[in-house]
Amino acid sequence: MSGAPTLTEQFTTFYIGPDLFGIEVMKTQEVTGTHPIMPVPLAPDFVRGLINLRGQIATALGLRELFGTGTPDPAEQMSVVCKVDGNLVSLIVDSIGDVVEVARDRFEMPPETLPPGIKRFVKGVYKMNQEFLTIIDLDSVSRELSPALDASTH
Amino acid sequence: MSYSEQDLQELKAESLELLDAAEKSLLALDQGADFSPNFDSVFRAFHNIKGASGMMEQTRLESHTHQLESLLMEFKTKGSIPKNYLNLFLRGIDASRAILDGGEVSFNFNPDPAPLVNPFKKETSEPVIPESALLEFLSECEEIAERISKSLLNLESGNHHPETLNDFFRDAHSLKGSSYLFNFTKLGDLAHGMESSLEPFRNGDSVPPKQILDLLFQNVKCMESMIGSLRSKLPAPELEALASELSGALIRNEAAVARSPAQNPGAAQSIPSKEKETEGAGTIRVPVDLLDNLMTLMGEMVLVRNQVLQFSNQSEDPGFLSMSKRLNVVTSEIQGEMMKTRMQPIGNITGKFTRVVRDLSQELNKNIHLTTIGAETELDKSLLEAIKDPLTHIVRNSCDHGIESPEARRSSGKPETGSITIKAYHEGGQVVIDVQDDGKGLHPEVLLRKATEKGILTQAQAAKLTEKETFNLIFAPGFSTAAAITNVSGRGVGMDVVRTNIERIGGTIELSSKPGSGTAIKMRIPLTLAIVPALTVKSGGSTYAIPQVKLEELVRVDQSGASNNRIEILHGTPVYRLRGNILPLLNLNSVLTRSASNRVSQENVNIAVLDSEQGSFGLIIDEVQDTADIVVKPINRLLKTLQVYSGATILGDGSVALILDVQGLAKAGKLGSRSRENPEANPMEAEAARARSERQDFLLFGLSSPTKHAIPLSYVNRLEEFKCNAVEYSGTQRVIRYGSSILPLISANRHLGYSEPSKDPGDPFSVIVIQRAGTTYGIEVNEIIDTLSTQEDLDPGLISDSCIFGNLNTKEELVVVLDPFEIISREFPQFFKKSSTDEDNTAQTGGDRTITNRPLKILLVEDTAFFRKAIRIVLEKSGIEVHAANDGQDAIEILNKRNTIFDMVISDIEMPRMNGFQLAEAIRQHPEHRRLPLLAVSSRADRDYMMEGKKAGFDIYLEKLKPNLLLGAISELTSKNRSAA
Repeated sequence: MSGAPTLTEQFTTFYIGPDLFGIEVMKTQEVTGTHPIMPVPLAPDFVRGLINLRGQIATALGLRELFGTGTPDPAEQMSVVCKVDGNLVSLIVDSIGDVVEVARDRFEMPPETLPPGIKRFVKGVYKMNQEFLTIIDLDSVSRELSPALDASTH
Repeated sequence: MSYSEQDLQELKAESLELLDAAEKSLLALDQGADFSPNFDSVFRAFHNIKGASGMMEQTRLESHTHQLESLLMEFKTKGSIPKNYLNLFLRGIDASRAILDGGEVSFNFNPDPAPLVNPFKKETSEPVIPESALLEFLSECEEIAERISKSLLNLESGNHHPETLNDFFRDAHSLKGSSYLFNFTKLGDLAHGMESSLEPFRNGDSVPPKQILDLLFQNVKCMESMIGSLRSKLPAPELEALASELSGALIRNEAAVARSPAQNPGAAQSIPSKEKETEGAGTIRVPVDLLDNLMTLMGEMVLVRNQVLQFSNQSEDPGFLSMSKRLNVVTSEIQGEMMKTRMQPIGNITGKFTRVVRDLSQELNKNIHLTTIGAETELDKSLLEAIKDPLTHIVRNSCDHGIESPEARRSSGKPETGSITIKAYHEGGQVVIDVQDDGKGLHPEVLLRKATEKGILTQAQAAKLTEKETFNLIFAPGFSTAAAITNVSGRGVGMDVVRTNIERIGGTIELSSKPGSGTAIKMRIPLTLAIVPALTVKSGGSTYAIPQVKLEELVRVDQSGASNNRIEILHGTPVYRLRGNILPLLNLNSVLTRSASNRVSQENVNIAVLDSEQGSFGLIIDEVQDTADIVVKPINRLLKTLQVYSGATILGDGSVALILDVQGLAKAGKLGSRSRENPEANPMEAEAARARSERQDFLLFGLSSPTKHAIPLSYVNRLEEFKCNAVEYSGTQRVIRYGSSILPLISANRHLGYSEPSKDPGDPFSVIVIQRAGTTYGIEVNEIIDTLSTQEDLDPGLISDSCIFGNLNTKEELVVVLDPFEIISREFPQFFKKSSTDEDNTAQTGGDRTITNRPLKILLVEDTAFFRKAIRIVLEKSGIEVHAANDGQDAIEILNKRNTIFDMVISDIEMPRMNGFQLAEAIRQHPEHRRLPLLAVSSRADRDYMMEGKKAGFDIYLEKLKPNLLLGAISELTSKNRSAA
């Protein structure tokens, strides 16, 4: 080990099923319990609906549907609110983990064998002592939420 | 002395305003407007900026505007400014702006070389001042005199507040300025004297002695008399003498009381005379941020108000109720006023385009005239800002690429001066801005070639595009039509950026063009207004909001009521007769669940009649709730792309409701085949329309057979349901009294050899009403099932029964398609025996029969197999020889290759490779075939299409598959042609 200070990053972590996920702390606005959700007909299934977050409207996303790994689950009790492209997005998760600080040198790109549904939203994986921390790439979520406008040039 | 950043900002803001005004006036002068008022405005701008910048020690700006002012004064008495000087002053204004922005500017005060005859020759004759300007000046003088005496009174009574002195100076100074401007030197001298006399006391060290004040009072009196005499146009030599004396006295006094600080004679000059203040008394500048914050707070306040109102519904306390009512009223009023603070006329930006266009036309050596209509249309300030750049880009594009050079215009028979029109108006809660030019337009082929070259499209995709889609390519990223990138447009800000910017603020943009005659761009901008009145409704258990601007009325229909006051089913879709007109209906639940069923409940039905671009339509909703002002909260783009929502809002109870986008609903409900104004409001719709036009619709019905049967929907006139006991007999023929006529009934089961279903007298039975040759016939079927829209081609199969067109092999099942006319012919062989064309012709057109002598040879151009067969059947039955082509290209090849001489071409419009319009144009230009009668048969039969068809060269344009009309038209064309030949 060299004597140079190790660069670290902080993540808000949460669980979906047994898996630990993380979002950069600076991009997290707040963590809340679940709110009543107003469904949006015709929207893709990962859009659970809209919620009233103290007068602001947030789009609730079901990560299970977004990743293509399942359907709404009774275990989902919490929501992580972050700002994506100026819009509030509430990620519906099972439970909240700690805010963790991890060393950059534990980072690795996602393994090629991850299911493609998840892999496209994953920035990389941190190797923790007991488990893996999968970092969600909010930019790719944003892309998913902002379909291209060029409908006429298909 | 240094000045705060804020002072400098204010100087800048004010100077920019003055420069804008001056620019406008110069342009007006260029257009030949009244000289004096415009000249004055320019003068005032230069003069005031000079003064203000001098005071703020902005020497560069001061000397620049000073020189401009001096130059300008040369023209004061001339009554006009030559063009090269106008240009000079315009450039001078630009330079002033650059200086204000902190730029380094070296400015050449020499005008462009021009055939100017000694511009500096002074006019010695009396200036000619227009009466109106003089009167305005005089009343201004009177006002100033009044204010000056008020200030003097204040001073006399011991009020030496600096503001009092400032008022005095300001008034005296502006009086001086305008008097000199109008050449009333005596009056000017007088004012100058007054100004100088109080100069020593300006710093507040001492107060003016009484003797000076007395003199000043006399001065004012004299001034008033002079103004009076000017008004009555009386010469007043004695007054002038008095004036000289007074100003002399003032100067003497000044010398007597002069103190050291008064040594700078330029100081008086440096007081800006703020005419602005007298003009716009009662206006203040407020930072936009503040307004934005207020707006946001206003939104929250409306929310709270709504919550209070909702709460008050449950309260019985009269005190609380009246308070909440009051709160409601006051909030609404505040809100209304608040909105106004942000609204600005669109002229604020379109006004600048006069200059843009003028400069560009000089740069490009073109003559371009810009017309602005509806400059007073108001738009939220932030939106106005947002559309400024896109709009500028569009106008520049029009100048650069749209309008041709004068030579080119002359040679194509257009006036040399091109015109660009910007038109702004309100429509359906939106502001529409049209930018139209009469330039060379866009050539679809060029666009397509560009797009394929640039890899935006593949060849195959390009071939499929409709004209509308082709034009919209211009908005594709990386697309620019300019052959060469010029200085004017094509700076890397493409039309794609324009579209992105417009769409970012929730607007839409579309382009249409006719090669050779111009291009039109239509932008729709929402009024924004973060708060909108809306109707809340319930559907499928959720609450939705519909903007009131889109709501025409609410109708409640009792389904058990009288037959024409309820929802009826027309060709499988529900409709309602609203005051005698058919109102298409959409069921909100079906739209939101994407279900095809348009089942209407048997109970009371609520219909919200909504206004869309495609005309009114009714939206069936479960429950009408309330009207309320809602705060529009943005939703993310993904949800916007669903088209049916324009935003979301939070209701009084804290729950979230989606705001319905009425236009989007209309699209989702596939309304709009018959558009009210613009058949192809946008490419999406055009796409949908195109897809629809090549689909064939069938009416599905059941007979006593396990297979479903169908007839092409275009044959169906109406659907009816009768009770068995309503059937009467005319001889052996079963008939129904149908309105004023008699409807003969034909059993489809019998003609196809199926058994008749057993019925009780009270049972209803379904009838498809078909019109043929002016007579209606009713075809009895067991049940009407649905409509089917399919692109599947008809399979003629092995069926020998002439009643059957063929089979449709849909994904789910096999459907037998019947020929209703054949069934009718079979039922009434006596009417239709000889030739089915006879009655049709005579009935429909009364035309003479010329088809029969020699078999006509017709080239049928049609890409859909079903129609090819159907039309061929109709024609061949009339003894016409039919040759078929698959599309326009094919048709041209057949025409050129074969030796057959055709009597006529019948063509579809929407076809791959070469469409009907192109085909018609090609034939009309062909040396051999150009006289060939052309008949268009299309399912797109709205007026615009018909017009276009006629233009392309079609003699007759028919809606697809009305056999009797088709035969009538053929007979008409052949007879015309023969008589011509």
